[in-house]
This record gives sequence, C-alpha cells and structure tokens, in this order.
Amino acid sequence: MTAIVEATVQPVAPAARISLRRLLSRPLGLVGAIMLLIAIAAAITAPLIAPYDPYAPVRVTIQDIFQGPSAAHPLGTDDGGKDVLSSLIYGARVSLIVGFAAAAITTVIGGLVGIIAGYTGGRPGTLLMGVTDFFLVIPEIALQIVIVAIAGQSLINIILVIGVLGWATTARLVRSQTLSVRERKFVLRARAIGAGDVHILRRHVIPAVLPLMIANTVLIVSLAILSESTLAFIGLGDPTVISWGQMLNFAFNRGAISAGAWWALIPPGMAIVWVVLATTLLGTGLEEALNPRLKRHHLERERRDARPPRPLSSGGLEPLRPNVPLAGAPLLSVRDLVVEFESPSGPLRAVDGVSFDLRRGETIGLVGESGSGKTTTVLAMLRLLPPGGRVVSGQVLFDGEDLLALDPGELRAVRWSRLAIVFQGAMNALNPVRRVGDQVSEAIRTHDTSIGKRAAALQAEELLARVGIVRRKARDYPHTYSGGMRQRAMIALALACNPDVIIADEPTTALDVMIQAQILELLAGLSSEMGMATIMVTHDLGVVGQRCDRVLVMYGGLIAEEAEAFRLYAHPQHPYTQLLLASFPDLTRPDRRLVGIAGTPPRLDDMPPGCPFAPRCPKVFDRCLVEKPPAYNLSHGRRASCFLLDPEHADV
Amino acid sequence: MTGRGRYLLGKAVWAIVVVFVVITFNFFLFRVLPGDPAKAGSRDPRLSPESIIALRERFGLGKPVFLNFEDGNPFDSQYFAYLGALSRGDLGMSYAFRDEPVAELIGRALVNTIWLILPAQILAIVFGTALGLVAAWRRGTSLDVVALTFSLFMWSLPTFFLAILLLVFGASYLDLPTAGRVTIGVTYGSFWEELVDIARHLAMPTLSFTLVLLGEYMLIMRSTVLEVFSEDYILTAKAKGLSTFRIIKDHALRNAMLPMVTLIAINLAFTVSGAIQVEQVFSWPGIGNMTVDAVAQRDYPVLQGAFLLIAVAVVLANLVADMVYGWLDPRVTTA
Repeated sequence: MTAIVEATVQPVAPAARISLRRLLSRPLGLVGAIMLLIAIAAAITAPLIAPYDPYAPVRVTIQDIFQGPSAAHPLGTDDGGKDVLSSLIYGARVSLIVGFAAAAITTVIGGLVGIIAGYTGGRPGTLLMGVTDFFLVIPEIALQIVIVAIAGQSLINIILVIGVLGWATTARLVRSQTLSVRERKFVLRARAIGAGDVHILRRHVIPAVLPLMIANTVLIVSLAILSESTLAFIGLGDPTVISWGQMLNFAFNRGAISAGAWWALIPPGMAIVWVVLATTLLGTGLEEALNPRLKRHHLERERRDARPPRPLSSGGLEPLRPNVPLAGAPLLSVRDLVVEFESPSGPLRAVDGVSFDLRRGETIGLVGESGSGKTTTVLAMLRLLPPGGRVVSGQVLFDGEDLLALDPGELRAVRWSRLAIVFQGAMNALNPVRRVGDQVSEAIRTHDTSIGKRAAALQAEELLARVGIVRRKARDYPHTYSGGMRQRAMIALALACNPDVIIADEPTTALDVMIQAQILELLAGLSSEMGMATIMVTHDLGVVGQRCDRVLVMYGGLIAEEAEAFRLYAHPQHPYTQLLLASFPDLTRPDRRLVGIAGTPPRLDDMPPGCPFAPRCPKVFDRCLVEKPPAYNLSHGRRASCFLLDPEHADV
Repeated sequence: MTGRGRYLLGKAVWAIVVVFVVITFNFFLFRVLPGDPAKAGSRDPRLSPESIIALRERFGLGKPVFLNFEDGNPFDSQYFAYLGALSRGDLGMSYAFRDEPVAELIGRALVNTIWLILPAQILAIVFGTALGLVAAWRRGTSLDVVALTFSLFMWSLPTFFLAILLLVFGASYLDLPTAGRVTIGVTYGSFWEELVDIARHLAMPTLSFTLVLLGEYMLIMRSTVLEVFSEDYILTAKAKGLSTFRIIKDHALRNAMLPMVTLIAINLAFTVSGAIQVEQVFSWPGIGNMTVDAVAQRDYPVLQGAFLLIAVAVVLANLVADMVYGWLDPRVTTA
C-alpha cells in the first residue's frame, strides 16, 4: 500500500505552498474534503444522531438477531441484535481517531528521521537510512499482528503499532525533499553568511518540507484506517469499542451470509470505502495543488487542428526577396509560421509569423535569447512540438512538400532520413538503457529496411569513428560517455541516414569551451563534406559569425533581422541586433566598451501589443507600441522588422 | 570485479544482514514484549509434561538471554540456543496442534499460499502494466478516466470486504465453494478431477487478490509511463521517424519497467497483507490463515515461525527485484 503514497507524492519545489484556492479549484480534492467533513460530523454528533446507544447493555432475544431494515432499525440489526445504523455512526469515531492519531505519530517520527537524515547527511544520515530501509522491507502487517497479539488489543496499542510502524515511507520521502532543499542556492547562501543550523532548519528546510508532509499525512490517514479495519476484521481489534472492521468480523464469522443479512455486511464495508476514498481524494488533491503537473507527453495523438489543412496550391509560394534573386531554389521554405501553447489563461503565442529559406548546402544561424522562439520554430517544422503546442498557421515546404500537411506515415519517412536534429543537452536525448551503437543503427535500419543487422551495426561503428569515438565504445551505454562524447554520438546519430538538412539545436550548451569549439568544428566540417544544409540554433553570436552563411536574429517570436553574416556584423540594422552585438565581446577590438541591454525579454503571457522589442528599445517611438512591424526588404537580400526602416519613416 | 558484480554482491550482503537482523529481532520480540510467550508457553495447559520439559530445554529457559557470563561458555544462552535450533530447521512445536513441528505446519501452508499468490501476482502484473500503459498513452480519454476511477475504488476497498463480496457472488451465481482448498470428504476419480476441484476453490480468492493488486499496479505503471513518455529520448526516437509502437516497445517499456520492479518489490508487504485477508475470508489453509489462527489460539511458536518466514520471504523477494533491476538498468554498474 505504501507504493501509492510514494508514486503520487514526489519531492516538489520548495517554493510550493498549499493554496486553498488552488485546492478548491480541483474537484476531486474538494469532493474528498466534503466527504471527510461528513464523516467527521457524524463521528462528533454520534450521540445526537444515532437512534440507539450501541454501548448500552440490552437484553436480546433470538428474534432480534439479523433483522432486516425496518422503521425502528433503518439498517436492520446485527448478530447481537443491535441497531446497525447506530453502530455504523459510532464506528466512525474509532476509524477517524485511529486514522488521524496514527498518521500524526507516523508523520512526527518519519518527518524527524527524514529531516535529520537528509540534513546531517554523512555517516549518521546513512545509518538512519539503513534502519529506514530495514523497516521498509519488513512487512508491516505481519509485525502489526505479532505486536498487537503479544502486547494486547487495546485501542492505544493499535494506534501506536500502526503509527510507529508506518514511519519508514514518510522518512524516505522527507529525506529526499530535505536533501534537495539543502543543496539549493538560498540555503547555501544562508550558510555562507554564517546562519546557524537551527535558523536554516526553521526558516528554509521546514517551510519547504511541511506542505509535502501535510499532503502525505492525509494519505497516511487512509492507510491507517485500512490497517485498523484489517486488524479488527482478523480479530485483533479492541473488543471494548465498536469499529467497522469489527462489525464486519462479527457479521462475517457469525452467520450473516447464511442468514442473508446483507445489511450487516454492506454498510460497514461501504463506510470504510467512504473514509478511505475521502482521505485519498483529499490527499491526492493537496498533492496536485502543491505540485501541479501538466501530465502531457510526446506520444499523445496529434490533435486534428494541430496542423493547418493542406494548402490548395503548393506551387504559389511567394519568394521572400523579390529584388535580389539568390542562386538556387530553396530546399526548405518556412512561411508565416505561427505556433501557440496551451495555458490555463488561454493560448500563448511563441512563434508569430516566421518566414525563411534554406538552400542546399547552406548554413544558417538562428540566434536569439532563450524564449525568443528559435527552438520552438525548428521543432514545429518537424511537428515535434512539446505537448500543448500547436502550429496555428503557416507552411513548411521541404523539397516541394508541406511537412505540416503530410500524413503520419509520410512524415515518419521524411524525419531523420532527410531532416535530422542534434538535440540540445545530449545528456537526456540518448536512451539510457540502450547501447549507443544500437541507437545509431536503429536509425539506419528504420529508413533502409534492406540493410542487415550486422551491416547496420558496422555502419554505426563507422559513423561513431568518424566523430572520434573508438569502435568498441559503440557497445557501451550513454552513461559511460562524457558530455562531449555524448554530443559527438548525437552528431553521428544525426548523420546516420545522410540527411539533406541537419538542425543543430544549441548543440554545445552545457559543454566546456574547448569541447564546444571541437564539436562545432566537427559539425561544420562533416556537414560541408557531406553537402548538408545546416540550421544552427544558438544564443552564441560568436558561433554564428564563424560558421554561418546567413544569420536570422529572433526576438519575441519574430525574425528581427536577417542578413549575410558578415553584413550583419558590419552594419546591423535592427536596434536589437545593434545592442546584441554591442553587448558581445570582440577580440579584435578589445578597447570597445561592452553595453548590456536593459530589461528582460518579454514573457509569453505578457507580450507587448506592438513590436516585442519596444519596451527595451532605445529608439522606440509611438508607432512601435501599437503596431507589429512587418519585415522590410533591404538591399543585399537583407530583411529587418523595424519601423525605423519603413521608407515612409525615412521621409519624415 | 565488474561494477554489476559488485552491485549484486552488495545487495546480497545487505539481504543477509537484514535476514540476520530479522532473526534476532524475532527472538527478542517474543521475549521483550509483555506476556513473554516462551515462559507462558512452558506453562501452557495444552502441552504434555514431556513437551514442557522439551520446551524448557529448547528455549534454555533457565539460562541468560543473550550472553552467558557466568559459566565458561558465553554462547550457552537462550539466544544461541534459538540460533542453533533454527540452523537445524527446528522452529519448535505447535501448542495448538498437539506437538506437531512448526516447520512442517508452515511448509504445508506455504505451498497453499504460493498457489494463491503466484497466479494472482502474474495476472495482476500483466494486466496492471498493460492497462497502465494504455491509460498513460491515451491520457485524458474516457478509457483513462475509467481505469483511474477503477483503481481509486479498488484502492479504497478493504481487501477482506472485496473478498466477502466475491465470495457471496461466487456462491450465489456461479455455484462456487466458499471455503477451503478441496471439497471435504470427496474421493477423486482422476487427477484431473482433483485439479478442477482445486481450481473451483481457487477462482474467487485469486480474483479478489488479482483485483486488489491490479488497481495498484495500474496506477503505478500509469504515472511511470507518463514520466517516461515525456523524456527527451522519446522525442529523439520520434524525430528518428520511429512509429509509436516501436517507440513504446524499444524505448519506453524498459525504462518504465525500472521503477515498476522496485515498486512491485516494495509492494510485497502489501501482498502479505492481502494474502492474510483473502485466506481468512475463504478459509484458505495458507500462511495468512495460519498466522491469524495462531494469534487467536496464542500459539506462539507458530506465530513466531510464520513471522520469520514472511519476513525472510519478503527480504529474498526484494533481493530478486534488485537483481532484475541490475539486469535491466546498465547504470547500476556505476551507481
């Protein structure tokens, strides 16, 4: 039973607080709370609402036993001739007292052990967790039975046994939460400025752990109530009090079934279900309010409206730059791509009308701060948006076909064989339980069914060797690779099907500077050698300057500026690009002063109505605040979205 | 030694330590707690005088509890007498069953319990993981909602109550027997007939047990699969152009089984609790039933033996789970 508690209550961010409003907005938690309040009310007012006093001694005759429901006994009588309804109401007292008292004991012991083990760490912490692990393994029920049998069947003993024996799960949970809090910045900072343990525990650790413990405690109540009823049913209840488990025990063992007296069995059983359901719902509701998880995942069915309908004519695509024809037809053309994410407050627009072209063999850079929409743009192109995201409108023409309109089978055939991605943070992008070589050969075999297993494995080794990974490492698992090696393996994986386009999504984040340079060198070398077009998504202007033919600067879901790399560096047109370059150190001009950009990029739920850069722009004027700037075509095939470049503005 | 070998050795050593602690704990539990069953047992009126002498001898009741500091041999104590008996497989004599060896009683009951637990566990694991997988995959659909509601209800239903309901249902509508392992007083024409009779007795206990476990496995699998399905490597697999079926089969399942293995092991304690309740309702002559009867009759040697068996079985099952985990997850070699 402990497993449910573990599965549903996981460590959460320390900032989380139980908000009553949030709890009440979740219907299940609310239903649980109401059900529990009804049970508590019945327990408190038992002497007033119960028709009889089940503890009063009565004289019964054989006719009184197992009588069906009647006006005098709405739920009939039990094996002792007593009124079932009255026993049922009084039984709530025992269940709730045992449930809450035992849960309180469990929480105090488990919480203390967990906090101490998590906070002190080291040898004492390990020792405490050893003891905890021991108690996790010992089956609770067996120990409960043995101890109650030997120590005596009083209510106090039952509460103590259930409460004391349940601590191990709580201790584990609290410990992991404490551990995560202990390593957080504000705690480390508090320690660095000399705060004492008592202060840190009281001000930082306990507030972070407490909400989780409250949710956990409510779930423990349901476990304790189940334990109590089980003990009572097998005859280990306190014989001097009336509990639901005991009612079932007596009814079952004293002939209720052969007498057909369902009223002696069903009501106490359903009463247990009622309170256990109530506490489980409430506890789960609390836990959800604490730790709201959008339970979305990558394998959800694509929503019908997640892609725009097939365009009427795929031929009539408007060229981006009518005044400067560049050599070669584009291999990939993105037109007016708009992407939105679901949120509780309505759809949020992450990409707001992005258009660009990519020619065969060309390398373009997609540059922007985090949140500018660059990763969302490339994921949307391959319909790999995270759950909750959808393409609202636009086209992604690849070799004459709109990727957004392909059916799933056609789309799978294009993915990887023609467009492959090097994901950011290869740490998690490789499957931890499969050999790296197998993950590469799997891609080969998926798109070339004629190739044998052995040949694909050899090819995978070859690819890995090409990115500088020795052949025998192909048989190893990702966790044995260093960060740089994993990124190399990811590149080998992307090359596996010899694609036309490689999208590198921040391929060097989280790698150290030397490795970054090596990875970029490798990527650029291999893609030019194999004649692939590359889209380099990055926030690093230096990378773009060295490696890219053209650069697209993104800001707030828009392409702020597009230009050939050397022109962009020499003469940035958009104020954002100008500030971005000014904030970037240039080794050839060490005397230049670096200027930061005041303010922060706009949040998706708080987008300015006009130009997204207007709030931070030093050259802002009234038009920028109300109207979104279109892309203006400039000389040399450049484009920029800024009203300063409007011919009319120049005239003013 | 390889990392994996070291991991397995560590787990095995831990299991041995836990078993030893359980054995010691079992010894003290029955002496420290009020009522001291060993002494009480030696005065139990149900025993023959010879048995009482044998009992006093076996428990070494006149001797010190843990270490003997008075005579020359420090190991001449009750604790070491207990260890010695245990090493010979001697769990003592039952008080209630007129001097029958506890080890034999437990052995017979264990076989019956395995008959009950094994099919139910297998059914529950297979159907629970399958349902959980589908519920997570089709998150938010009516199938998911039905599966979740079912699990929540199963979780709130006390096992013994579910068992009672199924017992009544089986007896009323399917004409199934309500108690025991075989029909008493029947001679079978063939082995096949005997098997059918046992199966008829097993049907409802197995169903109760399966349903109770099923809901829980489903819930765990569902939350695990939801987690795995939102991992980056699933996105990689999707970008590679794999079909959903192959993503699940080749990339998600093995990762999802890792927490499942651990949780199934932790859940063994729950299995014990379920077995006790189901056996009790259906009078199934297994370990659970024996434990409860031993409590009612204050038959302490049986209770002590049953507790030891249950605890050791769960520890060993956990060891098996750890081994499966080590086999499934290549990362344990460095952990």
